[in-house]
Amino acid sequence: MKILLRISLLFIGLCALLVWVAPSSAGSSFDEIKKRGYILWGSDAEGGAPYVFPDPKDPSRLVGFEVDLANAIALELGVTARQSQNAWDSLIPALQRGDFDIAMNGIEITPQKQETVLFSVPYYIYSEQLVVRKDNNDIHGVSDLRGKKVGTLSGTVAQEILTKTEGVDVKVYAGQVEPYEDLAIGRIDAVLLDLPIASYYGKTNPKLKYTGDPVGEGFYGIAIRKSDADLKKAIDRILLKLHSSGELRKIYEKWGLWDVTQKGLAAKINPSEGYIGVEESKKAPLYTFFPMLLKGALITVAISTTSMMLAVALGLFLTLARLYGSPLLRGSATGYIEVYRGTPLLIQLYILYYGLPNIGISLSPLLAAFLGLGMNYAAYESELYRAGISAIPKGQMEAALSLGMTKTLAVRRIVLPQAIRIALPGVTNDFIALFKDSSLVSIIAMVELTKTYNILAASTLRFFELGLIAALLYFMMSYPLSLLARRLEARMKQGAR
Amino acid sequence: MISIRDLYKQYGEHQLFKGINLDVSRGKVMVLIGPSGSGKSTVLRCINGLENFERGTVTVDGIEISAAGAGSYDRAYEENIRKVRRKVGMVFQQFNLFPHKTVIENIIEAPTHVLGLQRESAVEGALLLLKRINLAHKIDSYPDRLSGGEQQRVAIIRALAMKPEAMLFDEPTSSLDPEMVGEVLAVIRDLVTEGMTTVIATHEMGFAREVADRVVVFDQGEMIETGTPDEIFSRPQKERTRTFLSRIRE
Ligand SMILES: Nc1ncnc2c1ncn2[C@@H]1O[C@H](COP(=O)(O)OP(=O)(O)OP(=O)(O)O)[C@@H](O)[C@H]1O
Ligand SMILES: [Mg+2]
Repeated sequence: MKILLRISLLFIGLCALLVWVAPSSAGSSFDEIKKRGYILWGSDAEGGAPYVFPDPKDPSRLVGFEVDLANAIALELGVTARQSQNAWDSLIPALQRGDFDIAMNGIEITPQKQETVLFSVPYYIYSEQLVVRKDNNDIHGVSDLRGKKVGTLSGTVAQEILTKTEGVDVKVYAGQVEPYEDLAIGRIDAVLLDLPIASYYGKTNPKLKYTGDPVGEGFYGIAIRKSDADLKKAIDRILLKLHSSGELRKIYEKWGLWDVTQKGLAAKINPSEGYIGVEESKKAPLYTFFPMLLKGALITVAISTTSMMLAVALGLFLTLARLYGSPLLRGSATGYIEVYRGTPLLIQLYILYYGLPNIGISLSPLLAAFLGLGMNYAAYESELYRAGISAIPKGQMEAALSLGMTKTLAVRRIVLPQAIRIALPGVTNDFIALFKDSSLVSIIAMVELTKTYNILAASTLRFFELGLIAALLYFMMSYPLSLLARRLEARMKQGAR
Repeated sequence: MISIRDLYKQYGEHQLFKGINLDVSRGKVMVLIGPSGSGKSTVLRCINGLENFERGTVTVDGIEISAAGAGSYDRAYEENIRKVRRKVGMVFQQFNLFPHKTVIENIIEAPTHVLGLQRESAVEGALLLLKRINLAHKIDSYPDRLSGGEQQRVAIIRALAMKPEAMLFDEPTSSLDPEMVGEVLAVIRDLVTEGMTTVIATHEMGFAREVADRVVVFDQGEMIETGTPDEIFSRPQKERTRTFLSRIRE
């Protein structure tokens, strides 16, 4: 008891310390950058070329047109540039939290984002390019996408365009490589993404081609905290200088990004003139998000329950194979369990969905999610059953055998029913864990609850309110299971039945 | 009816039996006595195939179980063991009732799933047996609601429901409170009077003397003396038998 008290006091102390320490790391202003001699810029190297990505010749080094731009800006400021790695989806919240000074990573200037952060003048004009397979002849533009599966990135303007086009089955990805890969193997029909991305990942793929003219027009801007107006002013001035000196053009030409559109940059880059946002959209009331979140929750329930069924059945098979199978079967089952328990579910999902196509097996997102979760949890269920079976006294099996039952019958009628009763609370708890782990399948283009939340929050930046709603939905799904698990445990303690 | 020839059995490095011979005729009662760890349970378990052995044969009503082929699965061997188990019922020291099944379900489990009896007729038979031991009112109870004595009586009935030709009892009263020993022994006594071929391992010397046709004394895996109850209990020939009996009478 005393120890418990001490631990909780320690914990409270630690929390207090964290709270006390935190503010000092946040809110670094223009002066601080100069004082410490470097500017921290947030971006996602996993996002890839040609923005920021590991140098193929020396992966420990980052390259990309934004790396060059960051260095040029830093030079003008009289400091050096340091990249801070951050998931693309959450660059803006991380900026607000104070993780870095600026965020620059193909971030589109939109009115929603302008509500929360400042933007520098645009440094690049992008448009959206539609990419299809070489053999496709019926898609020539966005208007031909009705009834097609179209991939794009989460939280992009391209996604907005697609969502607004009626009848398009939008597949939202977290990275920019995956949509083009899925397009090449035929999982989707087209990809709509920013031209720089398309030029790097779409054009270079021999199986793919551009179709139609680029659509839409928007601006990449450097995101800066609202409190850092002086920093914004300095950066705007620098961008203007880089543009008029031709340095900006040199960088873009180096990366093959200079095109006629960029000529218009001059007009936009003059801060006094200002610029127009891509879309005007008012702050939508919270309830308008419910239908999408509920649909995500339904998909979460569907994936979780079906894969749990697979886990329960496959786990049982593994247990029986391990306890009563031939040596070969026993070895394979043990190997399966060890491998699945010893590797991260995330990697298993990646291999299933993105790896298998390399050897000619292409699973749909739903099937990959079902198999990935089910096969992973089967290993854990199997361990639970095994613990249950070994808790059954040997005398039970012997009594059954002495009554003339075969071993199979004895296992089925006498040992297993008792073992499952013992394993049941654990299995229920695993079901709860699976519910939450099902959020991992969002990486394989499965739009379940977490992914829905990601998409909505990234485009509206309402991480807090939407996060609470998503969490509440998860809780409503898992709480009844918790109650059930607790009741089963209580019943277990009462008696063998 | 039961005959053991030249049985060798070892547990790991420990050689327990070095050539045991034993015969039980139909309708006779054999009682196995001897100190703890002397091998009484092992003999019973070899008879119905719960334990395999390295050498020798066990024959029950003409069906022969021989030493198992090392590790390999032998279909004929498994079949023979099952045939023997159909003829021989076994009752354990720990009762081993199925805790997830009621009394009636415990009893009809094997008749319905092994013999293929209809549930109705199996229940009918079970009820008749339960009435004999005055437990008909407990048919829907779960084992954990029964006293030890009641559980062991149900376990005996469960074995009898398979209509065995012989019964093996491995210390059927050793886990019971003293006041319940009598009711269990009474059931066994009834069976014996009806002429059931029976082998009992027990520490109840009085009961052994009363029901046994032959008594076998085991010590360290050896059968040191065999005889009628009178011979063993009144005029033991071997020193080790006398030591054992005097220790148990203290
Ligand atoms: N599964 C086993 N593994 C190893 N040794 C065993 C095993 N079962 C029994 N033995 C050993 O075999 C010997 C005989 O055991 P057995 O149970 O047959 O004796 P017992 O006469 O029935 O004794 P008790 O009166 O205690 O029941 C003992 O020395 C015991 O330790
Ligand atoms: Mg014993």
